[in-house]
Amino acid sequence: MSASSEPCRAVRLPNGIDLHARPAGALVRAASAYQSAITLSAGDRCADAKSILQVLALGATGGTEVAVAASGSDASEALEAISSLLATLA
Amino acid sequence: MLRMDRTASPGIVLVSHSAAIAEGLAAMAAEVAGGDVRIVAAGGGPGDTLGTDGGRVAEAVREADSGAGVVILADIGSAVLSVRAVLNDGMADGVAAVLADAPLVEGAIAAAVTASVGGDREAVRAAAEDAWNVRKL
Repeated sequence: MSASSEPCRAVRLPNGIDLHARPAGALVRAASAYQSAITLSAGDRCADAKSILQVLALGATGGTEVAVAASGSDASEALEAISSLLATLA
Repeated sequence: MLRMDRTASPGIVLVSHSAAIAEGLAAMAAEVAGGDVRIVAAGGGPGDTLGTDGGRVAEAVREADSGAGVVILADIGSAVLSVRAVLNDGMADGVAAVLADAPLVEGAIAAAVTASVGGDREAVRAAAEDAWNVRKL
């Protein structure tokens, strides 16, 4: 495994914006456009960013930190897009 | 042969004994999925009773289809039997409809999001059925 070279980034969710319902759907739709596997983690939970039920089960609330990791041929683009989407959810 | 247009998006039909559950869930799934998916509620029995109505299910299946087929989710017991009767009796007018073996609420959310990102009917069905594998706690 070359986990040490897998790009990852920590993002703080905007205050007052929980990762549920519409924001979670927007995130999953964005993530699904990439070939790379994309993982979110918050607290002690991890989620496949392309699985709406896993993202909803993360229970990430506004103001908390979410770590994003991506691996695959378009990992750096995916990481950039998903991180900025999370940071600017409205 | 059943018609299947792979460029269209599969539709989703939600069958519940309660019209309120089916309609509320359709609204919730549409919100999460972004509104571009055809989701049709088919809840309640004849005359606004609690129950299921095969005619209403068949009509919903036809309404949900835009050429890519339809995935149906049902709540419990006789809702499943009603859907099976509709499919077995050919009441859906040749629409390529399948019943997903999935929990209704979680399955509907997963199905709607999968349809919204271009999943075909089998991908939508699989996403709904995969809902059994996601724990709440």
